[in-house]
Amino acid sequence: MPKQIEINAEVSPNLIPMIDIMFLLLLFLMISADMGQRELEDVVLPKAIVVKEDKIEAVSKDSAGERLTINVYHVTQLGGKTVLSCPVYERHDVCREESHWRIGIKGTDYVDMGLLRARLEKEAAPFRGKDPSNKNISERKVMIRADASAPFGLPQKAMNVCAQVGMYKIDVGAALVIKDEKRK
Amino acid sequence: MAGSQNIGEASDNPVAINVTAMVDVIFCLCLFFMCSLKFKQLEGKIETWLPKDRGVLQTPPPKIVLEEIRVFMRWLDGQTVIKVGNRPPVKSDTELMQIILQMSNDFKKLGKSDFPVLIDALPDVPWRDVIHVLDLCKVEKLERIEFAAPLEIPVKAGGQ
Repeated sequence: MPKQIEINAEVSPNLIPMIDIMFLLLLFLMISADMGQRELEDVVLPKAIVVKEDKIEAVSKDSAGERLTINVYHVTQLGGKTVLSCPVYERHDVCREESHWRIGIKGTDYVDMGLLRARLEKEAAPFRGKDPSNKNISERKVMIRADASAPFGLPQKAMNVCAQVGMYKIDVGAALVIKDEKRK
Repeated sequence: MAGSQNIGEASDNPVAINVTAMVDVIFCLCLFFMCSLKFKQLEGKIETWLPKDRGVLQTPPPKIVLEEIRVFMRWLDGQTVIKVGNRPPVKSDTELMQIILQMSNDFKKLGKSDFPVLIDALPDVPWRDVIHVLDLCKVEKLERIEFAAPLEIPVKAGGQ
């Protein structure tokens, strides 16, 4: 009769490779998470064909300085909390409720155009005087990121204030049209 | 017998660390970050630099400049109505661009090359429609595009 061998060893899974992978996954997700200051508000940008790629150098501190971003957005969420429910906006329709729209710079909202002007004056001041023909001109770049369904009046006001303080290098934020959409 | 054991066996390490709690925490963290992960849309920019030598008018313009292509936009019954100059409203993008290009060619025939396309939109027109017109003009290589600014006449002290 053949002798049966008894194996009493415990079978336990080796967790080390799994932990390694989990750590890498965690690292990736943590790095890609949006932890920055609310420089860019949550907006649905209008789509355009002739959009230039927004290179990172535009945001770097080159001769024109750090670019200032003016957001025109619909208030639905603040700090991750839903503060306003707007069925019209949620349906991607055009919301014309004035109180639902904001002009914001780095997390600060400006309803009063006087305050916005004061802020832009402050932002434009260090970049003035480079043009000898007009000392009021500021070389600081401005990006206007307005929601696609925002009323034109708001970006128009922002542009107006920029013109008043001598900021003329204005870019408009737009989303790139994907090739399939272009064909349609 | 010590010699019969394999290298790396659990019995080699007398102090075993219970990793279950750590794995649980990492799983929770992964779940949180995966849920909060949001893919950004591809963003770009359209350069719309303002003229350096002109500011916002504080008084009405001295004379009406006719050497321009003025695109009027207004929001009517839930849609944007576009017309060029005093022409009737356009029905499509193709028609809009046909009119603009025709006017542009007429200006060029008259020897005028420095004429702007002025987008004169009312404040309640959706931004996407304004950008769409801007985009159409840029596609046709019309580079001098301007936005009409609302006239801001300062209120006189003591008056209206």
